[in-house]
Amino acid sequence: MRVAVLAGSIKGGMRIAKEIENLPGIDVFVVACNVGMRSPLLRWSRELLLALKSFNWWTLTTKGCRYAQQGRLIILHRPLDDPASIERLRSLQCDVGLHAANVIYRDPTISAFRFGILNAHIGILPKYRGRCVAEWSVLQGDPTGVTVFFIDSGIDTGARTVLREFIPSNGWNCVRPFKNMLFGSDARLYRKALEALMQPGVRFEVNDILKGKRHYVMSRMFIHAVDEILRDRATLG
Amino acid sequence: MDLETALFRPVQLDRRKEILREALLRRRAELRKSWKHFISRDGLESLGSLATEVESFLSGQGSIHDWRLAATFTWINCDASFLDCLRAIALVGKVEYRPSDTNPARLSPLDINKLSGDERLKTLCARYRCPLNIGAASESDVAEELLRQLMVPDRAKLEAGEEFDVDIVLLKLNLVGIRAMITRDLRSLDALNYFYELPHRSLARMRASPRYVALWLCIYAQLLSTPDW
Repeated sequence: MRVAVLAGSIKGGMRIAKEIENLPGIDVFVVACNVGMRSPLLRWSRELLLALKSFNWWTLTTKGCRYAQQGRLIILHRPLDDPASIERLRSLQCDVGLHAANVIYRDPTISAFRFGILNAHIGILPKYRGRCVAEWSVLQGDPTGVTVFFIDSGIDTGARTVLREFIPSNGWNCVRPFKNMLFGSDARLYRKALEALMQPGVRFEVNDILKGKRHYVMSRMFIHAVDEILRDRATLG
Repeated sequence: MDLETALFRPVQLDRRKEILREALLRRRAELRKSWKHFISRDGLESLGSLATEVESFLSGQGSIHDWRLAATFTWINCDASFLDCLRAIALVGKVEYRPSDTNPARLSPLDINKLSGDERLKTLCARYRCPLNIGAASESDVAEELLRQLMVPDRAKLEAGEEFDVDIVLLKLNLVGIRAMITRDLRSLDALNYFYELPHRSLARMRASPRYVALWLCIYAQLLSTPDW
């Protein structure tokens, strides 16, 4: 199976590639997207800064060089939905894309992959679509976790769910670090999802959007209430 | 369910609701003092007889009414105008309504988005002449679209300090607030929280429509005092 990590930075792409590159039967590519269309100077300064901030910057650099030498590191200069970028993605003949860039995907980009693009959404689908879903789940007393599903051009409306992992918020007394932990579990869950996809006769759960609602960015007042709920729960043990 | 879980879960649930309720009441107390930042003295005076009612409603304890009763009807008709109905709902007045046998033709989010700003305002005011109808089950698509517009493009414009259509944004805030009163949808309530929390410089242009601002704040005050979310 050929897999491309669609990342907002080389460092971000390498982090996910490292987790999945040893899976048997997987060929990994890292596609670094120019999110926000930064100038070359700004873009490369950012890449350098991100690499230097990393504790294992030397490993990251050597790995990046190795990927580049093998033609497995692709640097996109144009937007992801630009015909030239889509043509480049198609030429990789990948089966699956892994979302790790802060972009909205349009249909031509999604269909450049044989099966589609996976997203590790930090909420339980189908109930919690959209933004701040970890906060909304805590506020409404529902389970928290991550859902890995194939995206479509809507907001968390892709019909095929590959896996769902419940990750309780118990023990966390603030929602921001809890969310960071959920975001950081993407590489591990992408690995699990790819393992599931390589099983013969893989079946998907349907993400029935009628069973959920789109959520939006949360007010400061509600975020404070969520933090208070978490603290209260942590105190109660 | 074992005994420990059975005993613990309701306690946890009560605490969550209690924390939410306390947060809403704190905001209500804050609104009692802060509402004057949203409406200028001149704007308030321009409201005529409405000004006194709004002032005493927002500065005082205010009252609430369970508007969910209205949602038991498929559609309701009112004789009063849109603004009179909105005023009655916002200030917990008496709304004279009667159930209708027929629903109006379905309005899809696509239909709304095809309209220009003025047409959109007219269409929404005409359809929701009795604004309680925004809480009807048949209107969930429209209500979701109004919520989406508020929380995505309108919010982005206000935060970026761009031009926006004051009347239509305020109309949406009023309708989404009424929807929250009827359906107890926390997302709709939070849209009002979010707009209330925007920096005052973002909201300055809203002062051009003191009537809609005043009614929005009265609806918001009712939502904050509502006990059962």
